[in-house]
Amino acid sequence: MGKTSYVRLKGSRQFRQRLLLATLSSTPILVEDIRSDDTSPGLRPHEVSLLRLIEKVSDDCTVEINETGTKLRYKPGVLMGGKYLVHDCGLSRSMGYFLEPLILIGLFGKKPLSIRLKGITNDSKDPSVDTFRTTTLHMLKRFGVPLEGLELKIESRGAPPLGGGEVVLGVPTVPNSLTASHWVDEGMVKSIRGVTFSTRVSPQIANRMIYAARGVFNRFIPDVHIFTDHRSGPAGGRSPGYGLSLVAETTSGCLISTDVAISYPKADETDAMEDSEEKPEMLPPEDVGVQAASMLLGEIEQGGVVDSTHQGLLFLLCALCPPDVSKVRVGKLTPYGIETLRNIRDFLGVKFVIKPDPTTNTVILKCVGCGLKNLSRKVA
Amino acid sequence: LAKTVSRQNGNLMQLVYGRNVTASTTTSQEAHDSSESDDSDEDFFMPKGERTKKLSDNLDVDIVDTEDSSKFNNIQLKDWSDEDLVKSIRDRFVTGDWSKAAQR
Repeated sequence: MGKTSYVRLKGSRQFRQRLLLATLSSTPILVEDIRSDDTSPGLRPHEVSLLRLIEKVSDDCTVEINETGTKLRYKPGVLMGGKYLVHDCGLSRSMGYFLEPLILIGLFGKKPLSIRLKGITNDSKDPSVDTFRTTTLHMLKRFGVPLEGLELKIESRGAPPLGGGEVVLGVPTVPNSLTASHWVDEGMVKSIRGVTFSTRVSPQIANRMIYAARGVFNRFIPDVHIFTDHRSGPAGGRSPGYGLSLVAETTSGCLISTDVAISYPKADETDAMEDSEEKPEMLPPEDVGVQAASMLLGEIEQGGVVDSTHQGLLFLLCALCPPDVSKVRVGKLTPYGIETLRNIRDFLGVKFVIKPDPTTNTVILKCVGCGLKNLSRKVA
Repeated sequence: LAKTVSRQNGNLMQLVYGRNVTASTTTSQEAHDSSESDDSDEDFFMPKGERTKKLSDNLDVDIVDTEDSSKFNNIQLKDWSDEDLVKSIRDRFVTGDWSKAAQR
């Protein structure tokens, strides 16, 4: 134990990516000062839950947390994968938070991963499970991931604050490594698809959101289909909520997505502003529809082969490729994307060449992958 | 965030990776050290929250404990019924001008 040298890190920033990259590159890490100046110091419940999740899918990893939770020592093990796993994501963050790292961890496992996650399926902080199913999974295709076994089944939905949703995620393993991708052609938007979700509210709300969103798109394109997914009874979770997730597909097969979810805020968040009203109002469905549609048009305006939410994952996939040149185009770099690039440099030693493309106001990134092989499989 | 966007056209490599190789990791520490040495005795005791606020005020670094979310929520919504705006992205759709779009 004493011989392992840990990479020292500070703060709770980018906790997920640090864990993910440490796991993939088998780098032991020591994180200090996790919210040590905060009034409630230490790791948050969702971060602990993520650690437990990683423990579940890997073999021989060690996690040590000090008493106050401000210090974490993590030594990655071998990623195993496995079937019929179950994980409770808790209620502090939605599943999108867990799915993003989990999908990459699944790819580099020994056996295909199949896991049932319980918790919140749609909320406003993380990408929803719908976006994940329609857009994120399809991004992996570009990097040579086999489509068989790659699926996300939404068995029941759960809105915050009480959740109650359940999804089953299946991720195949990559046989050897990913393949580098040359992905700069954005194409033109040829169709817009979407799906609404509504739990424990009137089913009519879905139609109102669709009507409003379609009104915005009418000036641009006729090919707009938005499906409704209304859940009632146990499949609808334990809290009321509704939202809309939209995807624009281009002629070159790029997917640009946005989503909006509305629900009653958590109990502790309402305490602060409780004086004025007893029950906060939810945004009307019409406004949700217009908001989601405007956001999608904003993303289309920016350009790039992925939307701003998926920039981080795109960079990670590029960096994990074999030593071969990947070239991608994105719109404006997001703060999260920039942080991702820094983490990639720190853990994988991959530096991107970043060039703005002034004629289209986009950014072109090029890199040579770090050549990560699926080591777990080789050991077997 | 506005800063990020406005500096887009500058040197992006510098924005992301900092001026020298280790800039992004060391800047926060260096600045931390210098501000501490500047502190006189009366500033020695300070409520914790205030201290961090002061640090983040005079520092141009990201806050160490930001929300960890990939979802990009800060897009300013535009009114897409505006004719000029509609025109500006007209050619990003198959219903627009294909020859113009091909130049991208």
